[in-house]
Amino acid sequence: MNKTLAVIRREYVERVRTKAFLISTILLPVFMLAMAVLPALLMSGGDHTSRVAVVDASGSGLGQPLLDALKAATIGDGKAAVPRYEAVLFPADAANLGRVRDGLIASTGFAGKARKDGWDGVLVLDADTLASGKLRYYGDNVSSPEGMNRLQRDISKALAGVRLAHAGVDPALVARAMAPADMDTAKVTDGKLTGQSGEASFALAYAMGFILYIAIISYGSRTLTSVIEEKNSRIMEVLTSSLTPFQMLMGKVLGVGLVGLTQMGIWVGTAFVLGAQGPHLAGAFGMGAAAGKFAMPTMPPALLVVFLLYFALGFLIYGSLYAAIGAMCNTIQDAQQYAVFVTMSILVGFMSMFGLINNPSGALGTTMSFIPFFAPFTMPVRWSMTAVPPLQLALSLGLMVLGLLACVWLAARIYRTGILMYGKKPTWGELWRWIRA
Amino acid sequence: MSSVSVESVTKRFAGHTAVSDLSLQVPSGGIYGLLGPNGAGKSTTIRLIMGILAPDEGRIALFGASGNSRHLSARIGYLPEERGLYKKMKVLDHLVFLGEVKGIARIESKRRAQAWLERLEIAGWAQKKVEDLSKGMQQKVQFAGALLHEPELVILDEPFSGLDPINAQTMKDIVVEIAASGRTVLLSTHVMEQAERMCDRVAIVARGKLVVNGTVAQVKAEFGGRHVALGFAHDRQHADAVLADPRLVARLDDYGASAELKMADGANPEQLLAALVGAGVGLRRFEVVEPSLHAIFVAKVGTDPDATPLPVVAGAAA
Repeated sequence: MNKTLAVIRREYVERVRTKAFLISTILLPVFMLAMAVLPALLMSGGDHTSRVAVVDASGSGLGQPLLDALKAATIGDGKAAVPRYEAVLFPADAANLGRVRDGLIASTGFAGKARKDGWDGVLVLDADTLASGKLRYYGDNVSSPEGMNRLQRDISKALAGVRLAHAGVDPALVARAMAPADMDTAKVTDGKLTGQSGEASFALAYAMGFILYIAIISYGSRTLTSVIEEKNSRIMEVLTSSLTPFQMLMGKVLGVGLVGLTQMGIWVGTAFVLGAQGPHLAGAFGMGAAAGKFAMPTMPPALLVVFLLYFALGFLIYGSLYAAIGAMCNTIQDAQQYAVFVTMSILVGFMSMFGLINNPSGALGTTMSFIPFFAPFTMPVRWSMTAVPPLQLALSLGLMVLGLLACVWLAARIYRTGILMYGKKPTWGELWRWIRA
Repeated sequence: MSSVSVESVTKRFAGHTAVSDLSLQVPSGGIYGLLGPNGAGKSTTIRLIMGILAPDEGRIALFGASGNSRHLSARIGYLPEERGLYKKMKVLDHLVFLGEVKGIARIESKRRAQAWLERLEIAGWAQKKVEDLSKGMQQKVQFAGALLHEPELVILDEPFSGLDPINAQTMKDIVVEIAASGRTVLLSTHVMEQAERMCDRVAIVARGKLVVNGTVAQVKAEFGGRHVALGFAHDRQHADAVLADPRLVARLDDYGASAELKMADGANPEQLLAALVGAGVGLRRFEVVEPSLHAIFVAKVGTDPDATPLPVVAGAAA
């Protein structure tokens, strides 16, 4: 046991000391944040006030109510709210519509650049608009689906109001009738409110799966390269004379796993600090509006326990498989041919999460919770999204432990023979003999 | 009691027998030399003894108990032929680790590691990475690592190869000291002169088979014959005809400026000396000697131990 501890300590200390550890600890969150934030930023086209020219050739006075509706739209809520549009009305008639429109278009698309008086877009209402709902928008942000959806919603609201007013409905009544529904979601587990919103549990489940995926892919596979390095540096012969294959294997997998946990601890700790101090920090950087979007979801203790259990078991299973593959091969290239099978299995587990998010308790989810290779991904997701029957959890954990023992036993058998094999990589038949030997 | 007992052990690799029906007894105490040319099966034999390889046939016992050497690993120190250390580790940390996996407590391991580094005069490198050290220094570190836990049986595979004379001398002193303290050293080498000076007992193996085995004195006595060592001062070429005379010389081991030869049966060293002087050869040495291990080796194995190594089959150990 003390010997295994010595191996664990060596693996841990030597890894944490490296520059690679420091760099990956800093860079990966930056990368992940960029992955999460960039598409959102690109899709929204930036949340800034757009200057919109409304050309009213409807002849039915549609322009003014539309202008009011646009002016009422805000970005954000409460005190931080800023107007979404800065709209100006340009009356026109059928005769000069083309000229007015083209004149405005000529000064469109410069917003935020040299011309302060330029437009982000030109909205053209013609005689048909009120009846058919058809209108045209010319703008620099037409490729932003989110911006266009929002604009269309705001216009639809104004159109409905005008139509109702024309039909003789009291404008005050219209305003009350048009008040939008505002739905908050709350998650219920075992008949109790968990205090999480639906969005938060989705985000949490996704984040956990992603962390596990990254951890296994980056750290699990590190056991593979490390075994190959040991073989190539011929340190293996000294080690085999002192340690059993099981001690070497467990020491390596646990040591590498602890490095992964340390790194994650740093990330999670930083995220919590940022989450708690987020509004202050964001305020300091003048990003008050953005901070609200990325609030840290709170993690219930039971979920944390389930996640950590599956994380540990899953990591050990995959870590020992990777180590066994390392023991079989002499070069990373050789190893990759075998490692593909393991990587595929991880990918299947990871991808299944997306299917689960729609139907966490379906046949797929339940079945995958019982397969040790996939359960580390599916079970925490299911747990976070729905109530998992305790019996299922127990069975799944039991199978995980059995699967782990089987994998470690198998890996230790391969390890025992493989670590001293130099030369060509084994055939499947030879591998079978190693296991039986 | 034998420290190591190898009984009729055979080990085959794909298409090639590395060790064939080999039997050895390494008694407790003293230095036991396993000699042979490259590719003779020395390292394979040592790996079999260490339990790193399993014999196809035969039986190996350590300290009278068969079974895996790992259970006895705390009593055995091993320096493999293929030296290997973690390149990125600091020297001191590495030694401490090697002690720990032998079951020594961390603090004690550290104390011993420092003592060894001082003794080997590389204490100044304790905080350097292994990869920053020269080959010779790395070998010293590994040597210390094999001895840190004060094993009663020390198995060294080619311990002096790749060392400069000064370092080789340091290592030799340590090996001799271990033997003097009553512990057992089993070392392999292909340098006969060294083995001859250090070893109490030797076994010569060639092509996986045991050729000669016993104390150095026994081996020499068994080889028998009268041997003469010659040193030439001038007119070396005049000696050729005399040395080629089968009535005088049974076997010649020619080094150019010197030679060692075995007298033919019935011939006297005096006759040889007279013949050489008569031929006008200038001698600076003429000595009746015991046969050297080198000469015995050449005679028994038929190849020069320092000659080009035999081709080694890939995947098989030398």
